[in-house]
Amino acid sequence: MTEEILTVKGLNASYGESKVLFDVDLSVRPRQVVACVGRNGAGKSTLLKSIAGFIKSLAGSITSDHVSLVGRKPYDIAKMGIKYVPQDKKVFSDLTVRENLELGSYATKDYNWDRVTDYFPKLKVLMHRKAGYLSGGERQMLMIGRALLGSPKVLLIDEPTEGLAPSIVTSLREVFRELSKNAALVIVEQNLPLICAISDKVYAIKEGRIVAELADRDSIRADVCERYL
Amino acid sequence: MDTQLLTSGIIFGLSIGSIFFLMAIGLSLCFGLMRIISLDQMLYYSIGGYITYSLSLATGSVWLGVLGGLVVSGIAAFAVERLVFRRIYERELTFSMITSFGILIGGIGVIKFFWGVVPRPVPVPIETQIGILGTDVPVYRLVVVGVAILVYVGIWLFLNRTITGKAIRAGIEDVEHVEGLGINVSRLFTITFIIAGSLSGLAGGLHAPLIMVDPTMGLEVLAFVFMVVIIGGLGSIKGTLVSAFIVGQVVSIGSLIYAPLAQMAPFAIMLLILLIKPTGLYGSTLVKK
Amino acid sequence: MLKAWRWWWGILLAFSLLAVSRAFLPLPFLNEVVIFSIYTIGCNFLLGRVGFISFGQPAYLAVGAYATAFYLFYFGTNPYIGILLGLMAGVVASLIVGPLFVRLRSDYFALVNLALAVIVFYLMQKVLAGITHGDNGLWFLTNIASTPVLDLSRPNHFFIFAFLVALAVWAFYKYLDDTIYGAACLATKINEDKLKFLGYSNYNVRLLAFVIANTTTALAGAMYAVYLGFVSPEVSSPSRAADPVVVTILGGVGTLYGPIVGAFAYTGMKDVIAKYIGNWELFIGFLLVFIMLAGEKGIWGTLQPRLEKLFFRNKAATAEGEKTSR
Repeated sequence: MTEEILTVKGLNASYGESKVLFDVDLSVRPRQVVACVGRNGAGKSTLLKSIAGFIKSLAGSITSDHVSLVGRKPYDIAKMGIKYVPQDKKVFSDLTVRENLELGSYATKDYNWDRVTDYFPKLKVLMHRKAGYLSGGERQMLMIGRALLGSPKVLLIDEPTEGLAPSIVTSLREVFRELSKNAALVIVEQNLPLICAISDKVYAIKEGRIVAELADRDSIRADVCERYL
Repeated sequence: MDTQLLTSGIIFGLSIGSIFFLMAIGLSLCFGLMRIISLDQMLYYSIGGYITYSLSLATGSVWLGVLGGLVVSGIAAFAVERLVFRRIYERELTFSMITSFGILIGGIGVIKFFWGVVPRPVPVPIETQIGILGTDVPVYRLVVVGVAILVYVGIWLFLNRTITGKAIRAGIEDVEHVEGLGINVSRLFTITFIIAGSLSGLAGGLHAPLIMVDPTMGLEVLAFVFMVVIIGGLGSIKGTLVSAFIVGQVVSIGSLIYAPLAQMAPFAIMLLILLIKPTGLYGSTLVKK
Repeated sequence: MLKAWRWWWGILLAFSLLAVSRAFLPLPFLNEVVIFSIYTIGCNFLLGRVGFISFGQPAYLAVGAYATAFYLFYFGTNPYIGILLGLMAGVVASLIVGPLFVRLRSDYFALVNLALAVIVFYLMQKVLAGITHGDNGLWFLTNIASTPVLDLSRPNHFFIFAFLVALAVWAFYKYLDDTIYGAACLATKINEDKLKFLGYSNYNVRLLAFVIANTTTALAGAMYAVYLGFVSPEVSSPSRAADPVVVTILGGVGTLYGPIVGAFAYTGMKDVIAKYIGNWELFIGFLLVFIMLAGEKGIWGTLQPRLEKLFFRNKAATAEGEKTSR
């Protein structure tokens, strides 16, 4: 049985006064692609944020490589190789693409940008453009590319295809396939065909609880996913 | 109004604007990055002034005093950041306002304790005057302006050419995001706060020879520094420079026309600008997360 | 009948205690405390209910004080009219600056009010020195006529007057708390978007609160003027801007009786500290920081929930106590 790279057990999380996650269990193996699906507000983003360290009010356990993540600062968790790529495609708009990458390198001490430009050759051309002037697709490329620095073992990606043109979504699908050769991916998505094409495992979340877990490639089919959305 | 009076008025305005600028940068950065209002910057200004006074008395050199003032206020800022602000970053703006105000008031008490209430004079390091456009202008004031320009360039270089500076600029946009990359934002906050405190201390040290240092000097400039910050917009360095210049000129030239009104003019300008743009000239509409 | 009693008992208790303390506390102290409480409740209301802090309350205090002073120095002798004028001046002033100030974000609001205090200070000290006599101030104690029933020029009568005014003010604020408007105020502090979606205008709520709070402050100023028989720019001194804020926090922000408790504590401490320690700022500054770091509840803010728990175990009373921390 392969070692799990990320284990979440009995996770309960709250935003201030309101509880958002109830007894969530989740497991990820190295280089596995795990998808989380669910309605808006179901708690998918909160789940990722909790793992990444952004939610203060936590109960339960989150471990990676026998190290507990609960209570750690987000930058510590990132340093451990678990990187969070947030929703809404926020890059640092006042900084150039190059500077955005510099920040990523500074944090991880990984200055090898070849890997990034291998995945996203377009970024090479855009190096000197201010990130604020990039299109949605380009920003997503930058965000993921930046998160690749430091060879993370787990990427937590929040709604990557939201608002993107179908052609870009297709190219992202290939990117994720490539990425999963080196890192585990936990992707929150609404785009079912994409999920079904690349996922090894799917969790369905409803109102803060895991209501289904499909760990078998065969049973992951669009109409099965359909039921929980 | 003759050119002589006007020239000295402009120079005076530039020098006082420079002092405001040095203090306003700190406030702006602290707000932009940490989303706090640091009223205690007035305290570091006062500390800078008083250390300058004491050191120049002890060593005979005012410049050494100014340097010492800068260092000591930086240390004081560091201590306050660690002890107080560290715990309150997540709270809303009014919280930091009240707390920093408490620190300011308490600090005034500390100053009173060590130096008493009587205002103290600080000698001007450069007594010479230079003739510009037919009027004698104190070189010292020009030096003050020069220092402010140097600082502006230095801050610009820091923010645009060093990785820490870029991280700060990124943090001003979105701190959580910077954290998510793996960058230690706690340290970033501390560095920024120390820079702010040191610059305020520098302002105090430079201002000291032009006024007498007294325990409430921080409160006296409070309104003006904040008018500068509000007009320029919290969070913008360029805005701070522009509005410091404006306020400095208005106070100075205005006082040549009608003294008491000059103190009030910046207020009128501020109201005008806030009417048109409620976040100041270059201010961001970003809300605290 | 029972309902009326339920509503009033808190205020009656508080003010009975106040009346009783008249027996063993010096009169000047009590007069100062009462006026100071009125001064503070405006700030308390603004901060605790609407979420706005103002570092410029001295401005409105001065508006009320000087309006009264002008009347009593130049025009008439009736202190009641003087106070009424001071109050009206407060309304007018708030309505002039309110529409602009209230649009601002909370930090800008605080500082803009501070700037206003500085402006008013300069106005009274230098610009209008012709009519205000600048730092010399306006003296009109002898002008105040002896009115029937309560002669305000006599401190013990003044206390009765101040007591009654305070009682009215407190009843007013408590009433406000209980209305939809009171709830709207809290809502605008906590979640303005939700309030907007409910159909209320945040701007209107805030503007009204602004006018109410600052008129109360002006009232305090007017009362100060009559009590002292003298007004100088000192009353608007920006260095006194901290006073209402400190007292608000000290007493317990957002609580109904916080201002009274805070005023007592503050004025009491001032005398004691001044006598023994001498360095007032040191003490008050660190006290403020300490309170903020320790949970910002203040004296009454911490006591009140405990007292409620102590005295009220039954359900009916908890409903009363749940009507927001007073």
